[in-house]
Amino acid sequence: MSTTPVIEVERLNVKYGDFHAVKDLSFEVRRGELYALLGTNGAGKTSALETVEGHRTPTSGTVRVFGHQPGDRRAVRPRMGVMLQESGFSPDLTVRESVRLIGTLTRRTDDVDRVLDIVDLTGKAGRKVSQLSGGEKRRLDFATAVYGTPELIFLDEPTTGLDVQSRDHLWMTVDRLRENGATIVLTTHYLEEAQQRADRIGLMHEGTFHREGTVSELTRTLPAVIRFSLPPTAPALPVRAATDGDGRVVIETFDLQKDLHVLLAWAQDHAVELRDLEAGPTRLDNVFRAISG
Amino acid sequence: MFPIAFSELIQIFRNRLVLVTSFIIPVVVSAYFVRQHETFAALGSLGYIAAIVLFTVAAFGLYATTVTTLASRRQNLFLKRLRSTAIGDAGILARLLLPATVVALVQVAAILTALAMVAGGPANVPLLVVAIVATVAMLIGLGLATAGLTNSPEHAQVTTLPVTLGVIGVASWVGVTGTENLALLKRLLPGGSATEMVMNAWNGGVAVTDSLLLLAPTLGWVVIAVVAATRLFKWEPRR
Repeated sequence: MSTTPVIEVERLNVKYGDFHAVKDLSFEVRRGELYALLGTNGAGKTSALETVEGHRTPTSGTVRVFGHQPGDRRAVRPRMGVMLQESGFSPDLTVRESVRLIGTLTRRTDDVDRVLDIVDLTGKAGRKVSQLSGGEKRRLDFATAVYGTPELIFLDEPTTGLDVQSRDHLWMTVDRLRENGATIVLTTHYLEEAQQRADRIGLMHEGTFHREGTVSELTRTLPAVIRFSLPPTAPALPVRAATDGDGRVVIETFDLQKDLHVLLAWAQDHAVELRDLEAGPTRLDNVFRAISG
Repeated sequence: MFPIAFSELIQIFRNRLVLVTSFIIPVVVSAYFVRQHETFAALGSLGYIAAIVLFTVAAFGLYATTVTTLASRRQNLFLKRLRSTAIGDAGILARLLLPATVVALVQVAAILTALAMVAGGPANVPLLVVAIVATVAMLIGLGLATAGLTNSPEHAQVTTLPVTLGVIGVASWVGVTGTENLALLKRLLPGGSATEMVMNAWNGGVAVTDSLLLLAPTLGWVVIAVVAATRLFKWEPRR
């Protein structure tokens, strides 16, 4: 298997007039990886993503997808599927016509009915796009992205507007594609999705990477958290703690295993019940709050 | 090769508003001119009727449809969607505009055939074909440029007026008054020399070489329109 990265971005800059949307951004996405490009609002992730997809030309810097320029549609597009942030289907065409049209134009081959079945739109195949709900349009978009099982798939906010069942279904399909070696580039506002699934995360802020790494590399920069409720009669705690807005005890620690052990031993010795006990690394949300705060 | 063009054709027939305003009304107007050909021939000539038919279909039909279609496909991000496939920009535009162009050419051919049958045919068919092709190319070019200034299909109803009314006005002016006076101005205005060329082709009596010179201003407008389109045309809605 080739070790050449699927996507290489080097010192990318994107400017709109005076506005510098992306500044000297460099990263690569390796084959088979799920790479999440995350960021605060206006961080430049859409500009960066659209440049990699080939919808935008860089002001400076280089972008390579499968070793080609992203604008070289003939070379690149048959190997990649794109789920856009907003749908972009003609309201007067039916679901089946839309999948067939866009699918055919990617120059991949597939069976339209198979693809409709994957996104659970078989029953709506003959409906016009104008009659679909927001969630159904997202699924139609996903259908065109996975048509012909491309090697690289861009998922731009793929689960926005989807109910829990459709969301699970979509991720199941993505997992299956990954088992077959697909590379995924994801943007999402649902950070727990990125936390659960991304191999690596590029966290953008003000046009460049604030941090890049695996989920655990990112969350390790902030203390882990232990949280529980105590009866009012409990004796003094063995570790430094604070109280949150709901009156629950919050312990922030860079040594979760040791402090949790001390706490549990203390609770056992004093016969104190730690109600609603939770302990774990910080969530990605907190990494976000730390950069934008 | 043709999936985009085929899907456009489906959309034209499913969208009654576009079907009626862009395809049926021009035919009805043209049919009226053919039916009243004696009146209009007395006013100008049979060549004038041919020119008016051509410009009615090409401006109210093809040009307006081009602008409306492109504005609509851009507004709902269909153009962006097409650009995320393997097909190039020029290919996308050519395929999007192919059905309306073919429909317009068929309409012109049918109506002019009807005119020829009821009132007598053109003196020079090849010259007439050249004039029609040049006019259609000019209005497609102007359509691409106008689409760059048009935000939505509703907006197209306003942005298309200067060109549609302008070329019909020029065609009527040239058709009724001829080019004996103000010849340079009339020939340089968009549609002016094309109208004269159609009249020469239909009525006869003018050397072909003189008529072919009239191609230059029309092709000039094609170039101007295409240059304007490359500067003005947008693939995505403004945010």
